[in-house]
Amino acid sequence: MSVGDENPFGELLQDYVLECLPLAEQVADTFVELERRWRAGDPADELLGSLPGRLHTVKGNSAMMGLTPAQETAHALEDACGLLRRSSERRTDPAAALLITGGGLLVDLVRQASPELDPGPAARYVERVRQWMQGEGPPAADTQSERRRTDRRGGGGADKTDSVVRVDFRRLDALLEVLGEGLIQHSALAEAYRRLARRSGACEELDRLDQTILALEKTLKRLESTLMETRLLPIASVFGRFPRMLRDTAEAEGKRVRLLQSGGETPLDKAVLDRLSEPLLHLVTNAIVHGMEPPDARSLAGKPEEGTIRLDAAPHAGRVVIRVADDGRGLDEKAIRKKAEALGQELRDDEVVPLRSLIFLPGLSTAEQVSRLAGRGVGLDVVAGAIHALGGTIDVETEPGKGTAFTLSLPVTLAIIRSLIVEIDHERFALPMAHVAETVRAEPDAIREINHRGVAQWRGDLIHVADGGAVLGTAAADRAPRRFYVVMAAGGKRQALLVDRLVGHQDIVVKGLDPALGRPDVVSGTTILGDGRVACILDSVRILEGGRRAG
Amino acid sequence: MPHSFLVIDDSKLHHQMYRLIFSRGALAGSTVHYATNGREGYGLLAAHPELTLVLLDLNMPEMNGLEVLERRRAEGLHPHIPIVLVTTEGSAEDEARGRSAGAWEYLRKPFQPADVEHLVMRALAKAEPIA
Ligand SMILES: [Mg+2]
Repeated sequence: MSVGDENPFGELLQDYVLECLPLAEQVADTFVELERRWRAGDPADELLGSLPGRLHTVKGNSAMMGLTPAQETAHALEDACGLLRRSSERRTDPAAALLITGGGLLVDLVRQASPELDPGPAARYVERVRQWMQGEGPPAADTQSERRRTDRRGGGGADKTDSVVRVDFRRLDALLEVLGEGLIQHSALAEAYRRLARRSGACEELDRLDQTILALEKTLKRLESTLMETRLLPIASVFGRFPRMLRDTAEAEGKRVRLLQSGGETPLDKAVLDRLSEPLLHLVTNAIVHGMEPPDARSLAGKPEEGTIRLDAAPHAGRVVIRVADDGRGLDEKAIRKKAEALGQELRDDEVVPLRSLIFLPGLSTAEQVSRLAGRGVGLDVVAGAIHALGGTIDVETEPGKGTAFTLSLPVTLAIIRSLIVEIDHERFALPMAHVAETVRAEPDAIREINHRGVAQWRGDLIHVADGGAVLGTAAADRAPRRFYVVMAAGGKRQALLVDRLVGHQDIVVKGLDPALGRPDVVSGTTILGDGRVACILDSVRILEGGRRAG
Repeated sequence: MPHSFLVIDDSKLHHQMYRLIFSRGALAGSTVHYATNGREGYGLLAAHPELTLVLLDLNMPEMNGLEVLERRRAEGLHPHIPIVLVTTEGSAEDEARGRSAGAWEYLRKPFQPADVEHLVMRALAKAEPIA
């Protein structure tokens, strides 16, 4: 069979990535770990033994998909690992470097999963491995089989493979937009039906219309979930960059750090992953540059010279929780509080302001924190901003001398959010349901005032109540009576928001996350409602933080 | 007559590939059972004496293909069901060990749907000689 034939499994490319990318990532990470262990004089036999099975699977799957460069790279690495298992004297720094290069290449090839890739880099790499294996009396048979394989494949490599279906993510985005319009039209239809039903009362035709609208909703939902599934990629596609990046950063900083990961297979929407990469990279770089003490300082403190950074991802309650934790020196809480005060943050003695509400303030990064690698002028406020823009939350825990952990909670998909539509001063707003705990009718004496802030009883606790108009900064003259409050909860914080009317639940399509709208602080985007009106999406996390409003 | 097959492979991607293969052409309408390791696969083999053919991956972390074949031979389980051992670039020794452990045929990755269809036709011809 020739390379140019249409691959009968072309439609499974996404499944290929889902299965093979975590494997390739594990292999690439293991190579980095091998280098570390070999340097420490540990032959790491069991680690080396974990590689061939994974490489074999990547090789076989790549072969089935007609992805020859990935197949041959995996094969070369499998051969190299075989040789290294047999001869421990070849477990050297150059060997580790060769493996690390190959691991990175394999990850790239698998991630791209394209039959149209330039075969050059893989071919050159395979040749390098072959030469390395020959270097000190490699088994002749291996070399020969290498050559045989290259010859056999050589002929058909340039055949056109354009009959393989490979979906560009831009097309998926376009499809999503079409679906969004469909959902909006459905909402409009449902609303028209409700009005009609109120006016004319029950009849058979209306029943049928109702059934059809319901069926349409189901169809659209199915389309949505199918589409969303095709957009999911394992988070390993972002995590995968870290071991190599960490190795380089640690080396440059004179630190000794190892990275432990889990949950690389956790799926996330490509749109979320794309926007997550930068902030995560920043947190990890921060952990190495600022969190980790130099080896001598660590051993003085009675800690192992080598620091550990953990990167864990796991699905949790329909969202994905990511934790970036280090066992370094911890945050300097005093310096942060001082700096925050200098920035004009009022810190009353009688009130314990949690560190988490200070650390993400803009401009907080202290001057001594600026270093060559992390000093790009990006503070944690930018990281937090990026996470919030994704509809996520970020929290921090730290203990002096023990380390720091950032916990991120993110939506799995980005574009469509189930929301509660509310009315405040004659305008409609969308509140993401993810942060809505309950809606309550505001009885006349339910809200009391304590310390100039409204509080209400909720499930046996007192929670703060903010006025919707005040949060939004709408003119007091326009004020409408507040009949309900919405209890919002996120990241352990709870607060109620007073609104005039509850319009209903709706799946909204986020139209851009451009904050350059009238009220940047508490608005995270816009959407078009069933009646065609534009509504702002409220940033519940910001509101829970008390916003950054004047009043 | 609808056929039934058993796929034993640790790769979910391969399950999907077999799903495609068994859903078209002459094989459309077949019943296919899937297992992700040898242990699970052995249980399904025991439960389904009516299987037309078994596709057994050699390389699996928990009870590999050879171990499945050896146990099946030792216990004499459904010797009439042909088992195809699936390998990636299997060596001659692998092949010989597989055959002596009771594999009926070999299938090497990368394979095409036609290769599987051909094996099925051969297995049927073996089981029900044309009168
Ligand atoms: Mg396998």
